[in-house]
Amino acid sequence: MARVGLFGKILKTGRVAEPAVPADETVPKAAGLGGSVQVRHVDAGSCNGCEIEIGQAFSPVYDAERHGVRLVASPRHADVLTVTGPVTVNMAGPLRKTFDAMPEPRLVVAVGDCARNCGVFAGGHGVHGSVAEVVPVDVHIPGCPPEPAQIVATLRGLSGR
Amino acid sequence: MTDPTATALVTALVSAASGATAGLSLPASWRARVVGTLLFLSGVAGLLAGLAALSGHDWQTDLPDLLPLAGIKLAVDGLSGWFLLLIGAVTATVGVYTIGYAGRDGHGPGSRTAMFTLPLFTASMLLVPAAASVPTFLLCWELMAVTSLLLVMTEHRRHEQVRPASVWYAAMTQAGFVTVLIGLVWLASIAGLDFTAIRTTTPGVSPAVKGGVFLLCLFGFASKAGAVPLHPWLPRAHAEAPSHVSALMSAAMVKLGVYGLLRVGFDLLGGGTGWWWLTVAALGALSALYGIVQAVVATDLKRLLAFSTSENIGLVLLGVGFAGMFASSGQPAVAALALAAALLHTINHAGFKTLLFLGAGSVVNATGTRDLDQLGGLSKRMAATTALFAAGALAAAALPPGNGFVSEWLLLQSLLHPGGHTGTVLALGAPVAVAIIALTAGVGVATYVKAVGTGFLARPRSSAAAGAHESPLSMIAAMAMAALACAALAIVPALSVPAITQVAASLRLQAPPMGTNLVSLHLTGITATFWPLWLTVGLVVAVGALAVAGRTVGKARRRAIAWDCGDGPLTARMEYTATSYAEPLQRIFDDTLAPERDLDVTHEEESAYHIDAIRYRQRIPDRIENRLYRPLIVAIARLGEAARRLAPGVMHRYLAYMLTALIVVLVAGVIR
Repeated sequence: MARVGLFGKILKTGRVAEPAVPADETVPKAAGLGGSVQVRHVDAGSCNGCEIEIGQAFSPVYDAERHGVRLVASPRHADVLTVTGPVTVNMAGPLRKTFDAMPEPRLVVAVGDCARNCGVFAGGHGVHGSVAEVVPVDVHIPGCPPEPAQIVATLRGLSGR
Repeated sequence: MTDPTATALVTALVSAASGATAGLSLPASWRARVVGTLLFLSGVAGLLAGLAALSGHDWQTDLPDLLPLAGIKLAVDGLSGWFLLLIGAVTATVGVYTIGYAGRDGHGPGSRTAMFTLPLFTASMLLVPAAASVPTFLLCWELMAVTSLLLVMTEHRRHEQVRPASVWYAAMTQAGFVTVLIGLVWLASIAGLDFTAIRTTTPGVSPAVKGGVFLLCLFGFASKAGAVPLHPWLPRAHAEAPSHVSALMSAAMVKLGVYGLLRVGFDLLGGGTGWWWLTVAALGALSALYGIVQAVVATDLKRLLAFSTSENIGLVLLGVGFAGMFASSGQPAVAALALAAALLHTINHAGFKTLLFLGAGSVVNATGTRDLDQLGGLSKRMAATTALFAAGALAAAALPPGNGFVSEWLLLQSLLHPGGHTGTVLALGAPVAVAIIALTAGVGVATYVKAVGTGFLARPRSSAAAGAHESPLSMIAAMAMAALACAALAIVPALSVPAITQVAASLRLQAPPMGTNLVSLHLTGITATFWPLWLTVGLVVAVGALAVAGRTVGKARRRAIAWDCGDGPLTARMEYTATSYAEPLQRIFDDTLAPERDLDVTHEEESAYHIDAIRYRQRIPDRIENRLYRPLIVAIARLGEAARRLAPGVMHRYLAYMLTALIVVLVAGVIR
């Protein structure tokens, strides 16, 4: 009885998601990825504000996966590396290794203001520098933190879907 | 003595005898080299004797003065020739290996005793298939058992486990000998001592007597062959013996159990009835399954190889059993095919198991350990040994282009095409046997992937493995000889067809329905053809093309580090071990294996929520041994304790025993 009720509700409700965010046309569509973008995320020393927003971007509400973007668990599987935060001294090495471990073609997306210029942490103890000082950055998403819609728009731009 | 078989066999025996003399008399610095060379010569001569016999030069001789009362009778026919060939080839390989393996220090395998016994052992193995009377056969059989026991005990000063292994081996091999003795003497009391006399008399002997003789002999021969449940000596003796002795025992000696079964069952008793061979096939099926399941979970490299011997002997016994069943149900063609598969598998197994045990010896010599969980990283340190062991593993895994595949393919063909009215037993048994062979082959692949993968590849798991060094040239050369033999058997197995026809003829069976074409193994009557040469060439070309394409086609290669999660360097502790690799299979066979697990969790004193240490131990016991043999051993020990009362140390009692015995003997004599 309860099961029928559940299926009935699913049928009645249909899909619930925000209307798709328009793609960011300024971002170049990643050549060679064929509309499928596998993302590896590295927190290089972030306050975790950006992580919460990235989490929302892949949540059912924004649902970045419908645009061909997936989060993966290893740089070996990834096409795109998203990096947040100012790069701390301890994370500089692992970040470089992660980038090295990715197969080509590969792209780096710096997420948030800290990733661009270290934000309020600039010059702080233990801060190595911005992401661009460690790995070559291709796209930057501004904001402190950037909104999920903005993250999805950029990733859609990459996947072209 | 112009007969080629006789010349070669006598040369082999004379070389072995001079080898034994050299082993006894020469100083340690020269001993291994001279004995090894003479052993090689003896082996080559034995091989030639086998080839001569297989090309139709039967030979027999009678030496009545050599042994009081019975004399020595020798005869070589096709069946003897096949096993002479096998033993000769293994002996020659081991001879070369001994030069480097025994070394010059004169201890362990290079000691005077070991070097004296080794040629005697190989000579007695060559004599067993040549024996042509019951006393000669039993004498050679016992000589082989005693000399091999001495060789198993070679390193009893160095390793504690050698002594219990020797006791197990001695008890099992003597129990087997006693049953063979009773069986053959029973037969001889009816039909005479001479094999030719037995052959002519047996058709008239009652089936009950023949069945009894067969069962007694089957017990002895199956225990020598290491068939489950008569196997407990095998993993012990093969593991603890020096590796060249393990190779001789596993590749050559256990095959003589198969020889004995063929000689007594098919030749002397004339084939017999279906249930004999059903018993043999059942033993074979049990050995194949239990052997491979124990092998896949073994972490001791030589124990793994020993259980794999049980498995392969099981496959051979399946072939022999089905050959007997087909023959007694009136299908001589399929029977000959099954027999051909069994014979081919004996020689294939001899080839790859020699190679694998010699490889294991090379590893043990270099690292001092047989534990796969402690090995690894040998591919860089011992490149030649690794390559040769991997070749042996490919053959043993019964995958094309290995030689093990050829004989298993033949065996499956004989089981899949029985044809005609076969009766319920065969109609049910053949598909079951096919399933068992398939399961065995699958688990066999996992076993050998484990042996090579965890034993040789990746990084060393212990300092012993890290400090490994390549073995001397003679050891590598011996392994290369075995590998070449395997390759020849894999690529041109059809060369063996005339020889198998000769063996079948000596067993009074029909020639196997196989075409003698060099590049293909063509079965006549059954639509099945197999091109081992093209298969090998095709595989080599495909692998080569893929390797070249991977380097040339597409974008240039970029070298990246092994992914370590961005953290520090990977350590050997992160690797798969032999135990962890076999864990899923062990889970599947959990009810069969019943592993003993032990989990100790130590808590902090302050709180039970905080764990100080966890210790996990696992042992996989041999269940058949625990269930079947432990109670027997306990009972025998109790009987021994009870029997002590018969000998209390009182002289009067002993005198009374003697008087009673005398009276009994006299009375028995008078009554008769």
